Amino acid sequence: MTTQLTPAPRPAALRAAAGEAPVFGGSSLLTQIRILTGRSLRAMVTDPGIVLFGLIQPVVILFVLTQVFSKMGMPPHFPEGVTYLDYVLPAILVDNAAQSAMQSGVGLVEDQKNGMVARLRSLPVHPGALLAARSLVGLVRATVQVLIIMVLAITVLGYSPNGGVAELALSAGLTVFISFSLGWAFIAAGAWLRRAEPLQNLALIVIFPLMFASSAYVPVADLPGWLAAVANVNPLTYAIDASRALALDVPGLDHAIPSVVISAVIAVVGMVAALRGFRRPL
Amino acid sequence: MSGLVTPPVAQPGPVAPSGDRDLMIEADDVTKSFGAVHALDSVSVGVPRGTVLGLLGHNGAGKTTLVNILTTALPLTSGRARVAGYDVAREPVEIRRRIGLTGQFASVDGQLSGRDNIVLIARLLGAGRRAAGARADELLELFRLTDVADRRASGYSGGLRRRLDLAVSLVGAPEVLFLDEPTTGLDPSSRLNLWEIVEGLVEQGTTVLLTTQYLEEADRLADSIAVLSAGRVVAAGTAAELKATVGRRTVTLTLDTGEDRGTAGAALRGAGFTPVNGEEDPRTVVVPIDATREIAEVVRTLDQVGVEATELTFGEPTLDDVYLALADQSAARTPV
Repeated sequence: MTTQLTPAPRPAALRAAAGEAPVFGGSSLLTQIRILTGRSLRAMVTDPGIVLFGLIQPVVILFVLTQVFSKMGMPPHFPEGVTYLDYVLPAILVDNAAQSAMQSGVGLVEDQKNGMVARLRSLPVHPGALLAARSLVGLVRATVQVLIIMVLAITVLGYSPNGGVAELALSAGLTVFISFSLGWAFIAAGAWLRRAEPLQNLALIVIFPLMFASSAYVPVADLPGWLAAVANVNPLTYAIDASRALALDVPGLDHAIPSVVISAVIAVVGMVAALRGFRRPL
Repeated sequence: MSGLVTPPVAQPGPVAPSGDRDLMIEADDVTKSFGAVHALDSVSVGVPRGTVLGLLGHNGAGKTTLVNILTTALPLTSGRARVAGYDVAREPVEIRRRIGLTGQFASVDGQLSGRDNIVLIARLLGAGRRAAGARADELLELFRLTDVADRRASGYSGGLRRRLDLAVSLVGAPEVLFLDEPTTGLDPSSRLNLWEIVEGLVEQGTTVLLTTQYLEEADRLADSIAVLSAGRVVAAGTAAELKATVGRRTVTLTLDTGEDRGTAGAALRGAGFTPVNGEEDPRTVVVPIDATREIAEVVRTLDQVGVEATELTFGEPTLDDVYLALADQSAARTPV
């Protein structure tokens, strides 16, 4: 009976099991990054829920703010000739950047949970390859999401920024870069904490309030004094101001350099921390 | 049964002097501490090329810790270990190129199909697209996964996942294969299939370290066995050697009536045996023997006094006896 169920193993598949040299010659770090990135991109295509789920919070906030507050008067320091939708959309893109960044960290935690990390550790694969792949996938996801939000805003809500196409693209590019750098912060958090819940709490407790304590929804000058003080040192203010200045052709472009520098520092620190956290034994 | 057990602690047997070139796995005095907890306490094992070492032990005995150290996932605290001739601390990448690992939990990407899981690992090991595909086909067939190859692994049953996991760990045709409780949760047919595959691999020269709680599995697959308890090797040797430490083989005779036991017992004692009355059935007599040929003498002795046995069974001590005996002894030594 058992012979029916279990045909004798074919030597072909067992071949070279005792070989002196490994059957396959090994792969370079770049190849490993490319293959692992391809793996997660494929999962994203076959399960687009990951991309769409991440869009929920930014899109809900976009609709809530533009619809609920549409009939309210604008605060005194609100820029002239700009609709609230135009004003708030660059901030929505930055919010989306943070949400997407969090998902990069969650993705790494998933890999640790389902055993992929344990598997890769038993293989001649550089530890940094998976981290880099998670970051690159986040870059793609953030780009797709930014495009979706922009198209939705333009076609459904009537977003019509004053900046040119090139400036608009630069503004979007800046938010994608911010997502990339925050992504490394979340990947580092995922590598150290190894659980998804703290990452989600981090996003909820840190990013969500920081968005309100910034120039995201109301000009800083119109915030209460203490909140304005927070907003003035909040890196998100710089990012949002720069993105807004580009898209709407309003003042604030001087915040572009600081926001890029801050993002770059976060990315580098995140990379180092992520690698260190990830190298620890499981 | 416990009366039979006289467990001397066997000396760690399968340890060969270091420098033996044909030892594919070599651990010398490996100790691993997590803070104050000693997960492994001077563990030494050696596995010659093309053989299987069965690592037996309870949960928490240190089996997985040893596997993690040997597969370079965990640094050791002290001691030395070599796999495929390379040092775990100094040459981990060379080791990773030559080993396969199937852990206690299936390490597969649920979002990918079974085939893509295999292809992914093959590509990471340096296979081209076509070579990776060919390797996947071979392994899918070997593990009877061809029918489900293109389905997402997240939809696989537990048994399918484990088979896929093992297939993935064989992608690089590893010289040394680590199987950490590989048949946990498998149905009997899948387990048999896995055993046959392991036997096939060993025939081809693969060296295997297998951890298991199933004694049947160690008995069937392992050339030598090491029993781990609380981080120490408490016994090592071949299955036969371990059985010999537990007790002798026995012949159990079922007689016509309980009264015959007196006659039979006296006659057997006269012939130099040490019969014991069976506890569960009042008609049985248990006779320890040293060799199988003594069965004939037992029967002859009964014949001479005119007692007939309606049933005669021959019992070998099982690895369960070894396991329980050694575990009892160890528990008595180091109360938890």
